[in-house]
Amino acid sequence: MNSYKILVIEDEKNICNFMKMIFETNDYQVIFAQNGKNGLTMFFSHNPDLVILDLGLPDMDGVDVIRKIRAKNDTPIVVLSARTDESDKVEALDLGANDYVTKPFGTAELLARVRATLRNSRFQGTGKSVRESFSLYDMEIEYDARRVSIAGEEIKLTQTEYNIVQLLALHAGKVLTYAEIIKKVWGYSDYGSVKKLQVNMANIRKKFGEKPGEYKYILNELGVGYRMNDV
Amino acid sequence: MNKNIRKNILKTVLIPSLCLLVCIIIEHYLAIDMVAPAIMALAVFLVSRVTEGYVYGIVASILSVLALNFVFAFPYFAFNFSIPENIISALIMLIITIMTSTVMTQLKWQEKVRAESAKEKMRGNLLRAVSHDFRTPLTTIYGSSTTIIENYDHLKKEQILQLTTGIREDTQWLMNMVENILSITRIDNGGVRLKKNSVVLEELINSVLVKFKKRYPNQKVTVSIPDEFISIPMDAVLIEQVIINILENAVQHAQGMTELSLTVHTEGRKVVFEITDNGCGIPRERLKSIFKDYFEIKDAPVDHNKKSMGIGLAVCASIIKAHDGEISVENREEGGCIFRFTLDEEDSLSEQL
Repeated sequence: MNSYKILVIEDEKNICNFMKMIFETNDYQVIFAQNGKNGLTMFFSHNPDLVILDLGLPDMDGVDVIRKIRAKNDTPIVVLSARTDESDKVEALDLGANDYVTKPFGTAELLARVRATLRNSRFQGTGKSVRESFSLYDMEIEYDARRVSIAGEEIKLTQTEYNIVQLLALHAGKVLTYAEIIKKVWGYSDYGSVKKLQVNMANIRKKFGEKPGEYKYILNELGVGYRMNDV
Repeated sequence: MNKNIRKNILKTVLIPSLCLLVCIIIEHYLAIDMVAPAIMALAVFLVSRVTEGYVYGIVASILSVLALNFVFAFPYFAFNFSIPENIISALIMLIITIMTSTVMTQLKWQEKVRAESAKEKMRGNLLRAVSHDFRTPLTTIYGSSTTIIENYDHLKKEQILQLTTGIREDTQWLMNMVENILSITRIDNGGVRLKKNSVVLEELINSVLVKFKKRYPNQKVTVSIPDEFISIPMDAVLIEQVIINILENAVQHAQGMTELSLTVHTEGRKVVFEITDNGCGIPRERLKSIFKDYFEIKDAPVDHNKKSMGIGLAVCASIIKAHDGEISVENREEGGCIFRFTLDEEDSLSEQL
């Protein structure tokens, strides 16, 4: 039994209905708001553990809801977005949303995102320094030694490559946008930054022995960013 | 807009000036008389043709009348509107101009109307076809859910599962269709240029395979792409759609298929994508029209095979065309068919870090 409380801000009644069912079957507590204004009121009065936010609300722009929540605290936000525009997702993520699910979505996908986001934010709360290592399948990262190994064998990475891998590992399960990674790894961004990141990522994948269609460690979200897998 | 006006003014001044020059050369050096009015009438006609609206033509005709009067009518190289011949010829020039401009403007306007109504008709066709295609799955969804609601107590668990599975299948088909229609509107959006970003080939292929696997978990795809780093400017959502549509087409139509493969190689600056299957191939008569525009196919009576991709391959063609690439399909001698499309690799200039 988990006691997480989820606030769903969504105006479509039928979507709320099935979300209520799947969350309650999975032992989450769930409350609903039909518009942005109510959503914010409920957010501040109920203090939920996670917010699911539809970007297309009747009364206000979803990104403004993110802004208002983020002005107060770090409660994880999972955004529901329509497919057409990656830029919407990127904007929401850069404003502080933790993840997104594209409509139409399956319930398994939504639950997985919610689980990963909750786990992720719990770790963030304890402080990064507490964690000394990261492991995923047969991959191991020792943060102090700046060492990455797969199946016990050390993978030789450049400083930049390691920095990217470490950053993603510290946020495992969360998609980081290109802009976010560039800012944290290089400290500045210019015209060729995204290309530089993509080239580094291609090299990392080669060293990790990843094959397209079967990425195990670092997943790519086309046009948005990268995500360390989280199982 | 401003640039347009400047262009029109330039034409209005330049064409009569040139014609005047020609007149002077002919009359002065070749000593042929009386051709000036005809040549200037031609000038006015030309100006009306190449400019927009009435104004420029009228200005050109006034310029021409003045020039004729100044250069060729007695007294030479001076204005004189007191002689009746001069006034009459000036009037005739003006009438010619106004009539030409009117005809030209009308013609241009008619052309525009015709193009627009053709587009309108295509839109209508698409809308009609789509609504028609949507009816079948919607019937399943509506019927099955109603059955469950109204007979809940009498249905066995397996029956409910069967009905809901049908609902899910048809919903997926609808989702697919919607993606395709969205893609079309994304290209057709009043000539708005595509939103192109640099996309890494390997990441594109990965994303396609992950999505495809979600839909067809049991279908294996053999992949082979170049080792080097290849970046292609594209609208990734649309190109993903192209590859998925072609793969999906193979799964649904290539009967007897045991191998499906996706290969990419480069030829100079061109990146060539090939999707090959070893199924039943495509009938000759279908081969010709397979990429026909989505609205053209639907001019024919709608076929009632719900599982037909409907507009999938036509959408592929539109997307590749919008990327200035080429798309083709042919049957293979050893059986099955091969879809091929090309995109341009990024210029090396912007590749520099």
